[in-house]
Amino acid sequence: METLLTSSFIKDYPASVVIVNPQMRIIEHSKLWLKELENRNGSPIGIPFYDIIDYTDEGFSKCCEECLQGGKITKVIQKLNPPEEKTRWLEWTISPWKENHIEVNGLIIIKNDITETKRKEELLLKSKRISRIGGWEVDLLANTVYWTQVTKEIHEVPMDYVPNLEEGINFYKEGVDRDKISILVSDAMNEGLPWDTELRIITAKGKEIWVRAKGEVEIVDGICVRIYGTFQDIDEKKRVELKYQEVSDRLAIATKAASIGIWDYNIVENVLVWDDNMYPLYGVKKEDFSGVYEAWESTIHPEDSKPAQDQLELAINGEIDFNTEFRVVWPNGEIRYIKAVAHVIRDAKENAVKMVGANWDITTNKKAEKKLKNLLDITSEQNNSLMNFAHIVSHNLRSHSSNLSMLSGFFVEEKDKDEKDQLIKMLCEASESLNETVQNLSEVVQVKTDALDKMRPVNLYETITAVEKNLAVLLKEKDTVCEIEVDKELKIKAIPAYLDSILLNLFTNSIKYSSPERSLALRITAEKNGDHTLVTFSDNGQGINLKRHGNAIFGMYKTFHKHKDAKGIGLFITKNQIESMNGKIEVDSQVNKGTTFQLYFESIDL
Amino acid sequence: MKKFKNACIIDDDHIFIYGIKRLMIEVNFCEEILVYNNGEDAIKAFTINKQSGRPVPSIIFLDLNMPIMNGWDFLDAFCKSNESGLDNTIVYIISSSVDPRDLVRIKDYAVVKNYILKPITANDLEAIQKEEVA
Repeated sequence: METLLTSSFIKDYPASVVIVNPQMRIIEHSKLWLKELENRNGSPIGIPFYDIIDYTDEGFSKCCEECLQGGKITKVIQKLNPPEEKTRWLEWTISPWKENHIEVNGLIIIKNDITETKRKEELLLKSKRISRIGGWEVDLLANTVYWTQVTKEIHEVPMDYVPNLEEGINFYKEGVDRDKISILVSDAMNEGLPWDTELRIITAKGKEIWVRAKGEVEIVDGICVRIYGTFQDIDEKKRVELKYQEVSDRLAIATKAASIGIWDYNIVENVLVWDDNMYPLYGVKKEDFSGVYEAWESTIHPEDSKPAQDQLELAINGEIDFNTEFRVVWPNGEIRYIKAVAHVIRDAKENAVKMVGANWDITTNKKAEKKLKNLLDITSEQNNSLMNFAHIVSHNLRSHSSNLSMLSGFFVEEKDKDEKDQLIKMLCEASESLNETVQNLSEVVQVKTDALDKMRPVNLYETITAVEKNLAVLLKEKDTVCEIEVDKELKIKAIPAYLDSILLNLFTNSIKYSSPERSLALRITAEKNGDHTLVTFSDNGQGINLKRHGNAIFGMYKTFHKHKDAKGIGLFITKNQIESMNGKIEVDSQVNKGTTFQLYFESIDL
Repeated sequence: MKKFKNACIIDDDHIFIYGIKRLMIEVNFCEEILVYNNGEDAIKAFTINKQSGRPVPSIIFLDLNMPIMNGWDFLDAFCKSNESGLDNTIVYIISSSVDPRDLVRIKDYAVVKNYILKPITANDLEAIQKEEVA
């Protein structure tokens, strides 16, 4: 019964099992074993094992012999390399089959295909090798240390190297690294804390490399019995990381020092991120805003908001590179200029996904640029006016001096008394003209050299009425109607003598060039517009063809009328006087309708 | 020596006009002297003369700086109104200006023969006479 039971038990055993007698003839087998034999007809019972299984090796047969001699259960692993087939791994478990627990009556052979396990093991080993992960273990009871092959490779020690705990620790670089691992190991042993850290070791060959060391402890009854962990060579990665860190630290220092703000706009999710340098550029505090876009929108100059956003859109569409300037208004009212450049990042389909940009303050440059441009304008204008001045001076002096020399030539040769008297008269006239010219010129030079510090608040209305009073006789001759629409309290910043001279000149011009067809009407208004005050002076006189003469009206020695007193110096001096008070003068005129001058003065600060 | 039929002076400086007239008489420069105080007066007179069949002056002494219509504007207007028949007229600029821009600008006008810097002398007039009236 027992045999039968055993027999049916073996048959249904869910593994490949075969039982042989001491002569290695098959006595029994599991169904699975038979199934694995290909092209086998008939019962294998009684047939020698080796007749059926012909691929076992020497190790196997030796094992079987030993087992029959009364050996123990043995496992043999066999690697099969059948031609044109994949490598397979078989694990044989051979155990003696004893009757009465003494005599060996045969063997139980279990075949197990462990190819898959073996392959996984190989793969794991390979991946550990590739990722350079080694293992280690310290048995604190036996006081032994075990390192895997990779761990040894990382330490660059020979394969037969036998490590110990102290030596293992001493591989760590002296200083912070060794101190740190010592503390970690000691904490682990005392408190059971695992560690995971990145440190430098010096290999047996003296090379410094970065490793990631992980460790855990096994504590039994409050005593640490084992420490084990992994050891990974991360040198390459770590150095790249450190290099990156160094570069980005350097960039951060540089951008901070240069006050360059960096922003990052996720186009897909519509999220804008600013770095900490951005906020000071906009004169705001990070905590005052719930979102970056809100901060940007609240500070950008209203006139520049649309153009900047248009630029952004064009850049996203790929039409232009984002490279622009805009103004921001700080909460304290200060206007600053910001330069903004950015790069658009696109996906494989050329869709814009992200934008990274930089902002920096260019106010100083802008101001310097403006100042420089102003200076250049002033210089070229001055140069131009000096050049004209020189030519005018030479022309005018020359015309009088040439007349003088011509007349004196005639005088010497002239015999006729009446003609001589005539010549004397003309000589006097010419010398007087010369004198007048010199006086005019010195007046012009005077204007150019007068200092601005003579400027002071002047009551405009009072000045106008004083000039009007001086010219009362002349104005009356023309039946002048004078409308003065100026606030009696209004003051402007001016050099009093210049303001007198300017008004006197405008009044006399209006009188001189009044229309013979109608009585003269004058109208003077003044209006304060912030930092400047605009004064208009209009008449209904002859007017002037500005298309033809343009701004020559303010030129020196330019006359446009037949009037005998037209000297072409008055408006030239007026213009110079106004400009030397930081103001300007403009003209508007229509022939036979009248002329309006617009004068801009500096307002008084209140 | 042969003389010009009629010479024209366009200048606003009456002392200069007195001088040049006196010199013209002295060297027996021309038969008739016409004087205008600015370009516009001259152009107006020329137009009237033309209508009554009188010829354009054979020589014009032109000042540059004058009120109403200066020498340049006169030249523009004169050339425009006499596109044909300019061969009979020559223009001499007489000015006190030593501005190089003026000297460059006269090259634009074929009708301008030369530029004389004031003061003008009897010798200048004789030289012109010699050259122009063969």
